[in-house]
Amino acid sequence: MNAAMPILLLLCPLIPALVIFFLREENDRLRTVINLGSALVKLLLIAWTLEGVARGVEFEYRLEFVPGLYLLLRVDALSLLFITLSSFLWLITTIYAIAYFRGSENLSRFFGFFNLCVFATTGIALSGSLITFFLFYELLTLSTWPLVVHKGDDKSIAAGRTYLIYTMAGSAALLLGIVWLEGMTGPIEFAGEPELDELSRLSLTVIFALCIGGLGVKGAMFPFHGWLPQAMAAPAPVSALLHAVAVVKAGAFGIVRFIYDVYGIDRVAELSLGLPLAIVASFTIIYGSLRALQQTDIKRRLAFSTVSQVSYIALGASLAGPFATIGGLVHLVHQGLMKITLFFAAGALAERRGITSIDQMEGAGRHMPLTMLAFSIGALGMIGIPPVAGFVTKWYLGVGSLQGGYTWVLIVLAGSSLLNAAYFLPLLYRAWFMEPAARPAGEAPGEGPAGLILPAVVTALASLAVGLFAGFALSPLGWATLIVEEQYTP
Amino acid sequence: MNAEALILLAPVVALPLLLSVLALSPIFNKRALDLLPVAPLPGLIAAFLVPAGTVLEAPALLFGLRLEMTGEGALFLGFASALWMAAGFFARAYMKGGRDLAVFCAFWCLTLAGNLTVFLAGDAATFYLAFTCVSLAAYPLVVHERNVRAMRAGLVYIVLALIGETLLLLGVLLAVAAADGILISDVRDALGASGDSLTIALLVAGFGIKAGMVPLHVWLPLAHPAAPTPASAVLSGAIVKAGIFGLIQFLPLGSDAGTWGQILMAIGIFGSWFGILVGLTQSNPKTVLAYSTVSQMGIVIAAIGGGLEVGAGAVAVAAATLYALHHGLAKGALFMGVGVMQKIGRKGSGYVTAALTLVALSVAGLPLLGGALAKLAIKPPLGGGVAELLVTASAAGTSLLLLRFLFLVQDLRSKSNSARPPLAMTLPFAAMGAGALVMPWLLFEDWSGQDLAYAFELGNLGTALWPLLAGGALAAVFVGFRPRRLPAVPEGDLVVPIEALARRGMAAWRRGAETLPHAAPEVRRPLLAAAGLWLGRVEGRLANWAVAGTLMVLLLLAMLLADRLLG
Repeated sequence: MNAAMPILLLLCPLIPALVIFFLREENDRLRTVINLGSALVKLLLIAWTLEGVARGVEFEYRLEFVPGLYLLLRVDALSLLFITLSSFLWLITTIYAIAYFRGSENLSRFFGFFNLCVFATTGIALSGSLITFFLFYELLTLSTWPLVVHKGDDKSIAAGRTYLIYTMAGSAALLLGIVWLEGMTGPIEFAGEPELDELSRLSLTVIFALCIGGLGVKGAMFPFHGWLPQAMAAPAPVSALLHAVAVVKAGAFGIVRFIYDVYGIDRVAELSLGLPLAIVASFTIIYGSLRALQQTDIKRRLAFSTVSQVSYIALGASLAGPFATIGGLVHLVHQGLMKITLFFAAGALAERRGITSIDQMEGAGRHMPLTMLAFSIGALGMIGIPPVAGFVTKWYLGVGSLQGGYTWVLIVLAGSSLLNAAYFLPLLYRAWFMEPAARPAGEAPGEGPAGLILPAVVTALASLAVGLFAGFALSPLGWATLIVEEQYTP
Repeated sequence: MNAEALILLAPVVALPLLLSVLALSPIFNKRALDLLPVAPLPGLIAAFLVPAGTVLEAPALLFGLRLEMTGEGALFLGFASALWMAAGFFARAYMKGGRDLAVFCAFWCLTLAGNLTVFLAGDAATFYLAFTCVSLAAYPLVVHERNVRAMRAGLVYIVLALIGETLLLLGVLLAVAAADGILISDVRDALGASGDSLTIALLVAGFGIKAGMVPLHVWLPLAHPAAPTPASAVLSGAIVKAGIFGLIQFLPLGSDAGTWGQILMAIGIFGSWFGILVGLTQSNPKTVLAYSTVSQMGIVIAAIGGGLEVGAGAVAVAAATLYALHHGLAKGALFMGVGVMQKIGRKGSGYVTAALTLVALSVAGLPLLGGALAKLAIKPPLGGGVAELLVTASAAGTSLLLLRFLFLVQDLRSKSNSARPPLAMTLPFAAMGAGALVMPWLLFEDWSGQDLAYAFELGNLGTALWPLLAGGALAAVFVGFRPRRLPAVPEGDLVVPIEALARRGMAAWRRGAETLPHAAPEVRRPLLAAAGLWLGRVEGRLANWAVAGTLMVLLLLAMLLADRLLG
């Protein structure tokens, strides 16, 4: 069972992907059953694994696919953090997507690639070696592209092209770094301690820059974030997937893995690589917020907000020290919950009332109270208002940066909070405190089908709960603390 | 932790939160106002029944939520709950038939929950949560009227509140990182040992914004008058006190904090006079009261400054607490009095004016009234000398200021001669007024360490009386000469030029943003517009992969260079 678990977790999204590709377009009901069923089964498997890992059971699977080259799947606390988040959000996003796309075309293609995407993400989380990680990372790039261009209009195609150029170039840099590194040391497994002493400082620094830079493309780190706002041409469920479940998260997760399990905190500190990364991440945080402030389109504003927020994860990883690490790790989950809430809500607003730009939001709170309530919780969380999730992140990053002696990071956190307030609160103000414009004729009455509205409510409540119950042992904070205690502080 | 703590302390927080949700539910929709007087009931009970030192812990909440009853916390909790309850009864009558009552009541209860939790918080995270809750949930109360004036007040309020929250978070983070744990007592001890100036400055600014500390007070004279009258009463009487309580809790009172004691004292005394002088130029009675709050809080802040010395902590905390209690009840009564005046005709308004005068005299410190005892208690931390003289003399200004209030409030009387305010409004008003006059008598001996006889000493009676006489004389002169016009200081004084500046900055930034991405270069461009435009250009260039790649290589080279130079 212990060796089979990683395989089962991978099969959960893979089998539905293959089945759905061959499903006839009008076979709605079967497709829905398969989608939801496999997502639920996966969550059950994860619950089983969570309990096992907490007890110290090892789940590992090895497959030699080229002599001397292993495909290594391994479950550890860090991979579970990511996989739990992505699977939970996968289920919710599937429900949302089914409601969102009701009656539209090419759904078998969409859900097929959607599941493939989740398969790749699961693989990234479960990878136990650098080369396995890279394989799944590439698969993710390829399986996401059909989703980005799903609409098929010029804008989508252009966005898809940009996405491919950026991510392929990033992957090339990553591959170069990996080949260089493994060429000197042999295959690198995350669980072991790689022997990096043979490499010179110079090559270690360059490899670090290549790999982090390559991962930073998906992680939307400045200056490689350009693809993300463009990808807003994709439909709302895809945005949710890009921003919260899979792509951006995979980049950030990769950075965390690379720093902690390939180089190790000590070596990063010794090579003085943490500080430059922290500076780039901090710059991205402020830059993304400033750009968000300039946008008038809701989804574009949210996209730049992601650019800013995801860099919190890299910032936490680069500052080292237990508190900052916890802050970064826990933001992997927190940012996902809050941002997906915002995208679900934005999608519902656009779908039901045609609201896409900020000046159309007047009175949205009266027409769509549940949606706007969810949006408000997500936005307040992004600002860092307690007890929503973002506050927990900010608290740990703040204390962690001070413990590490980086007082200036506080200014970044404060600036980011204020900028977040500046670009989110005007939306809430318009929605709740301004009178709605007259309703144009032919507009859909009511808030909309449950499948479109409830996912946002659920994730909003989740982002409230993970902050409010942060002290609970199985909360993301509790789990991140466990990771840091068990793995990084001997 | 025991069952008693759970039964008595948990509802203080839980009931207002629950009622906040219930207010929005359809069941209570029509009767949401009825919930307001009930919400603070557990707080009032707990203030009387829960002994100091009782602790309630919930380790799974936040970072280990901890409620703790302290001696001064109980007093703050008591008077704040009483005021919230009185204002709740008042609101039931005053707001009846208004619009958006469910929302008003929901946020009233939410603000209340935060306000009372502030006084019970035992750890820094819970405190910050409660403090933020007060700040944000009070916004809908401020803008409830939805007119231009309320919206402007709301904007100034929320901007300052957010800046305050951010500064406070930084201060709390610095303090927590330097301490062993997140308990407020640990944090305070660590701050006392280090005396770190940056931390103290951030905390003072963060709390100061809420407490109406000059020059961060500018939201207060806008928000208090713009809010519906019952909300003004709790804003001025209870919510402002959250800032004062924060200062008492976090500042290392009783240990040496360098020059911070003098700085706070100077800021406080300056504020007490600034509030009076600007307040005198106002023509709206509620604005006059708001400035009076600024002035009175200045005195409390000065006393807290006096506590930043070895051995002076306990006295300062007790004095500030007693003073805050009296001011909370009295200011609550005065604001409610404004509401009563609006509903009363010429006939019978004499009683209300008399009651208002009595409360006003108490605030100015007329001997035998409660306020005189509060003033007596607050003298020792000031340490004599010029500071004490200036505070004593400020009572002259206060009496002048409140005379102006009494004069202005007459204009509000109802046109109909025989109009009568409902008992549901006059009773809470009277109760708070009576509380202000009486409560200090009951608490004086315990909280000032002096016998009551001390209050009757001739010297003390004299120091209390002469400023009042001086104020009266000044008023007589003032009325006698009838100056044509007072200098016109707009409501919110300093905020007006800052608002203008901010508006221009925003406009420029937006111009920069709108001309994106490839605008024709203009010859001259304001700085912010240029910055906005530049940011857009950067983004445009980055779309070109080659530029981003080159940037990456340059960054790498810079890193290597830095490594060589440093390593």
